[in-house]
Amino acid sequence: MSPAERPVLDVRAYGLAYDTPQGTIEALQSVSLTIRPGETHALVGESGSGKSTLAWAIMRYLPPNARDLGGEILLAGQDLLGLSPTQMDAVRGRRIAMVFQDPSASLNPAMRLGDQIAEVLMRHRGMTRIQALAEAEAALTRTGIARPADMMRRYPHEASGGEKQRVGIASAFACNPELIIFDEPTTALDILTAQQILDLFVRLREETGVAALYISHDLGLVARIADKVSVIHQGRIVESGAVHEVFRAPKDAYTRQLMAAVPRPDDRIAVDDPAPAAALLQVDGVSVRYGNSSWISRVLGRAPEPFYGARDVSFQVQPGELLGLVGASGSGKSTMAQVLSGLRDFQGKVHFGGRDFTERRGFDRAYRRDVQIVFQHPDASLNPRQTIGTILSRPLRLYGLCPGDKVELRVRELLEMVLLPPDFAHRYPHELSGGQKQRVAIARAFAAEPKLVICDEVTAALDVSVQAAVARLLTDLQRQSGAACLFITHDLNLIRQLAHRIAVMQHGRVVDTFAVADAASPARHSYTQALLNAMPVPDEFKGVTAA
Amino acid sequence: MRDFLKNPVGVVGLTLLIIVLGAALLGPWLAPYDPQLFHARSRLQGPSADFWLGTDQYGRDLLSRVLHGAPSTVFFGLGATILGVGVGSVIGVIAGVAGGTIDSIIMRVLDGFLAMPELLFTLLIVTFLGGGTTQAMLAVAVTFAPGMARIARSSVLSVRTREYVLAAIARGESGTWIVGREVLPNALGPIIVEATIRVSFAIMIGATLGFLGLGAQPPSTEWGLMIAEARQFMFRNPWCVAVPGVAIAITAMGFNLFGDALRDAFDPKRSRS
Repeated sequence: MSPAERPVLDVRAYGLAYDTPQGTIEALQSVSLTIRPGETHALVGESGSGKSTLAWAIMRYLPPNARDLGGEILLAGQDLLGLSPTQMDAVRGRRIAMVFQDPSASLNPAMRLGDQIAEVLMRHRGMTRIQALAEAEAALTRTGIARPADMMRRYPHEASGGEKQRVGIASAFACNPELIIFDEPTTALDILTAQQILDLFVRLREETGVAALYISHDLGLVARIADKVSVIHQGRIVESGAVHEVFRAPKDAYTRQLMAAVPRPDDRIAVDDPAPAAALLQVDGVSVRYGNSSWISRVLGRAPEPFYGARDVSFQVQPGELLGLVGASGSGKSTMAQVLSGLRDFQGKVHFGGRDFTERRGFDRAYRRDVQIVFQHPDASLNPRQTIGTILSRPLRLYGLCPGDKVELRVRELLEMVLLPPDFAHRYPHELSGGQKQRVAIARAFAAEPKLVICDEVTAALDVSVQAAVARLLTDLQRQSGAACLFITHDLNLIRQLAHRIAVMQHGRVVDTFAVADAASPARHSYTQALLNAMPVPDEFKGVTAA
Repeated sequence: MRDFLKNPVGVVGLTLLIIVLGAALLGPWLAPYDPQLFHARSRLQGPSADFWLGTDQYGRDLLSRVLHGAPSTVFFGLGATILGVGVGSVIGVIAGVAGGTIDSIIMRVLDGFLAMPELLFTLLIVTFLGGGTTQAMLAVAVTFAPGMARIARSSVLSVRTREYVLAAIARGESGTWIVGREVLPNALGPIIVEATIRVSFAIMIGATLGFLGLGAQPPSTEWGLMIAEARQFMFRNPWCVAVPGVAIAITAMGFNLFGDALRDAFDPKRSRS
């Protein structure tokens, strides 16, 4: 085999287990994977599938309770399993680099960005500090960052998420490694920023010819950038091959299931358009000001400039309608959810069910019963010390919706309504999976028999396949109860499946409101168009069903 | 609990605690001699068959004295901690829940208290209240309160912004329900852990006060006082200082290790995998 043919990374029948107090867990079972020079190999799986474990196993950076179960991990023919920690130190960063998911967590907050790249160069390429800083600036320039010299002197908190991820990528590419592992590098970023980072990745890969292992849960994204793909499920690779072959003709049932779960805008699952009626909710010129000065700074006359989380926002929701509220993080969409659920003070007017509210205290119990909220993180939105039964019975008791002796029966009904077994009532939240917890949170919202349910990024923390199920459940419940829904999300593909109308927010303002059918119209705001075009669904995915 | 017993630190801590608490509860009945009985012929002796841990300057049996001193020393620590933690937590929870101006005022006042070294502050209070076990206990409790208040407050603050609390506010729950059912049960963990560790501090401060003559008064068998009384005979018989000293160390270590293990057991990242 000629050197050009020899795989950069060759994982052969590798297995790994974790020893836990509850017994041994086999996280990886006989995993095989080959990456040739210049190739991008995508590893796709849901949370807990073992994809990150494999990345750390290749880096040989594992927790003390991890145990190799045999097999080989060859980097350019050299078995990494046999290397001592010192030898491995020379490999990490120099020959294998890694780009992490969360750029804010992977950079040292107390070090200038330039120094963080230079550190790698001094360590692995033996440069002096001056050489390293010059080289770091050159590396940063290659990432297309605006004003690299200025960026070198900044600290992480002075840079945006996209800029930080560019720094992470620059330091990964700095030592010309043979292999770079990308661990969901765009998941924590806004779609438009993610788009730029992906373009950067494609460009740098072409310039340097580096081999890449790209870990992701997003099949649509993988289809656009990878050459090969491996689908991993419960620690096993269930399907592997060239991207277009796998996605054109998926063989494994799990792959098909994943592909079917990818949201496709043309596959509508929304309830039928509601009959035109008077608006149920009308938000009229609502503004939210953050950073109210404390009394002490007022005394000292040093009140800071006010910052608006939302400014002069107006939209309306019809009875039975699903309005999508989309925007990048920080655009003010969650602020609006907090205003409407009475968690944040506001200026302006909220008109709901024939009544006007002009301040947070005006929201009485009747309003709070009619407007329910479901939060993003299912792990955080259920009290860990209460059983599911207690959690679900609370709205029933609080609003006096059903007599005391019927509560238990109603809780069982609620659980059945969200397709969970009734005996879950006796369990605690930590015994449930993320998707199950989110179902409980949705059941709690619908238990109050509300007129409007606010869903604040309810699918963002869930796996793709669970996401689709939760979205379907939500529209089913809407169909049964006739409740209207304000669905806040950053996923343009998902919202086009669910919503009747979409409002787009940018920098705290609503910049565009339109009916879903008009999404492609050229009359759309330029920002809306950019969002809509950022994450196209590949053609191969159309028509795949979970058979 | 199973996780707790698998942790070697926890097992050692628990064993030491059982020994200490056993001595505190049964000590006076286990003691071979009257702790105040003088054996004039055998003063300042090392360990022997008659006196297992030796005798002090008056020929009193050290083992009997340490066993008799256990209840007062241990219950001093527990009492001071319970008082201090109780008062401190209530203040901290009020500050954390109220927030805003009330929180600022409470915390600035407590910062003032915290600025004083703990022992110095205790001494100051004892000078006001006068010597004696009860006064010393109150003094230790007062010094503990500000620190505990800070911990309780930060614990409440971290829970207060959780989504399940927000959900309760959005539902329109009453303030009492939110604090009592949603916030407190989830904020108690760190407070309990800190309290266990503080028992050992309380015992050591109590011993220090005893040593300085400001806590228990002779002929009490409080351990700190025992060391103080035997100090001048330290070179003729090291045992009369070492025995109560080691007893204090064991007790402090027992509570400390137990608290450490408890913290690990409460930490969901460690106990659940």
